[in-house]
Amino acid sequence: MTKTAQPTPDGAAVRLTGLRKSFGEVHAVAGVDLHIAPGEVVALLGPNGAGKSTTVDMLLGLTAPDGGSAQIFGRAPRKAIADGLVGAMLQDAALLEDVTVAESVTLVAALHRDPMPVADALAAAGVADLAGRRCAKLSGGQRQRTRFAMALVCDPDLLVLDEPTVAMDVETRRDFWRTMHKTGRTVLFATHYLDEAEQFADRVVLMREGRVIADGSVADIRAHVTGRRVTALVDRPDTARLGALPGVTDVAVRGEQVTLTCADSDQALRALLATEPSSRDIEITAMSLEDAFLALTTEGAAR
Amino acid sequence: MNARYLALECRRIIRSGRFLIFSMVMPSVLFLILVGMYGGDDAAYDDGSPVAAAMMVSMGAFGAMSAALSTGARVAVERGGGWQRQLRLTPLSPAGYLYTKLVVAMLVAIPSIALVSVLGATVEGVSLSASGWIIATAGLWLGALPFAALGLLIGLSIPADSLPSVMGLSSMLLGLLGGMWIPAQIAPDWLSAIMKATPSYWFTQLGQSALYDDSHVLTAIAVLAAYTLVAGLISARRFVAGAQRA
Repeated sequence: MTKTAQPTPDGAAVRLTGLRKSFGEVHAVAGVDLHIAPGEVVALLGPNGAGKSTTVDMLLGLTAPDGGSAQIFGRAPRKAIADGLVGAMLQDAALLEDVTVAESVTLVAALHRDPMPVADALAAAGVADLAGRRCAKLSGGQRQRTRFAMALVCDPDLLVLDEPTVAMDVETRRDFWRTMHKTGRTVLFATHYLDEAEQFADRVVLMREGRVIADGSVADIRAHVTGRRVTALVDRPDTARLGALPGVTDVAVRGEQVTLTCADSDQALRALLATEPSSRDIEITAMSLEDAFLALTTEGAAR
Repeated sequence: MNARYLALECRRIIRSGRFLIFSMVMPSVLFLILVGMYGGDDAAYDDGSPVAAAMMVSMGAFGAMSAALSTGARVAVERGGGWQRQLRLTPLSPAGYLYTKLVVAMLVAIPSIALVSVLGATVEGVSLSASGWIIATAGLWLGALPFAALGLLIGLSIPADSLPSVMGLSSMLLGLLGGMWIPAQIAPDWLSAIMKATPSYWFTQLGQSALYDDSHVLTAIAVLAAYTLVAGLISARRFVAGAQRA
């Protein structure tokens, strides 16, 4: 389905080396190294201003880096785009309001040398029934899917998506990722939805202040935050007393609801039951990716 | 340049009904009104050139100029809306984009020249030599090129929301200073010096050479070519710089 015969000298779909970009005093991207193998689905995750979009822009040759280099299948970004190896959906790239969905996709196909049939791209992106509609009359989610069709129609090996599901409702988002996974391509997507990264990425690259602060599978990232969380209802809870329990690193109290962040939840739970016999409705949960994300990003801020 | 991209751009212009009608019909209406007011049967200027023929050339030039100018300037909308960024994700080169816009602007300039000429030849009974007709049609059309380039430059320089006022003002000024409305001969010296710096003045001179042998025609061609080149080069630089910044 994809143009798999591409020679990739170093075996990488994407290779960013020491990539840097400053806007005035702001170091938007401060030295990013990233290697993505063909077939990987990678989420680029980070808070606003982490440098995700600037990194994506440099990867696509839209912004010239101050230092370092970006390569796609061993080629310069512009060359890779000219060769039809990359399809991309950008946050602020627009549609022409006076043009229909089918015309938009047909145009992009016409500009490429070896596109897939327009009807296939429309169907894959779920906009076949909107083909004759002017872009001005599309909803937010429909616009995103139209742009997805435009990214897909060149039959690329690599898809680069910047916040692809930002205007979609939950159901549309799920459909979007279902079609995305069916395409079986190398995908790099920037997002700030943790659940999206968790559910759909093979690998998560976490960025903060222009740097990669963690890179690995969702499980790897989560392992950055060890421990569990114990929640319970306790009569007249005392923050100080609860915080002094063995194994507990942090306490949050809201009414009777107590949340203990624990380095050793087994030890903490025994102590809790011994000192607070009124404890009930006890739950023990593992830290989520969100906790790992918060821990990693605030840890970075403290440095 | 990509033929299917050009075709889509032409379809978009045709769809923009009001814009197209305005740029086509307005110069013809002005032509008929002005000849009705000053043209008489055999009215002629002091230098002997017939009023109807001179007005035909002036209004053809005005129509071609404003059509080329405002079509070129439509790039402002695509710049603000991020469409240029979308196009940079395709193999289309910056040159391919700008050339397509220039060609579209030149195509839009055709109908206004054609309509004014047909009205001149039929309704107003203008008669010109064969070479005169070639200059009044094909010559005017080619002479509109610097205005397509200037339009592009304006479109790449100003925000989309100030486009209508800037376009209205610049067509009006270029028309006035170019002597398309009032013959340059009656202007005072200081004004005529300013007029000679505008591309529209030389565009009008080019058109007037359809009526009588004009020694200025080569100067006119040189000035128009220079404007085309300069506006084209600055546009290309702005386009590349804008894409980098985005």
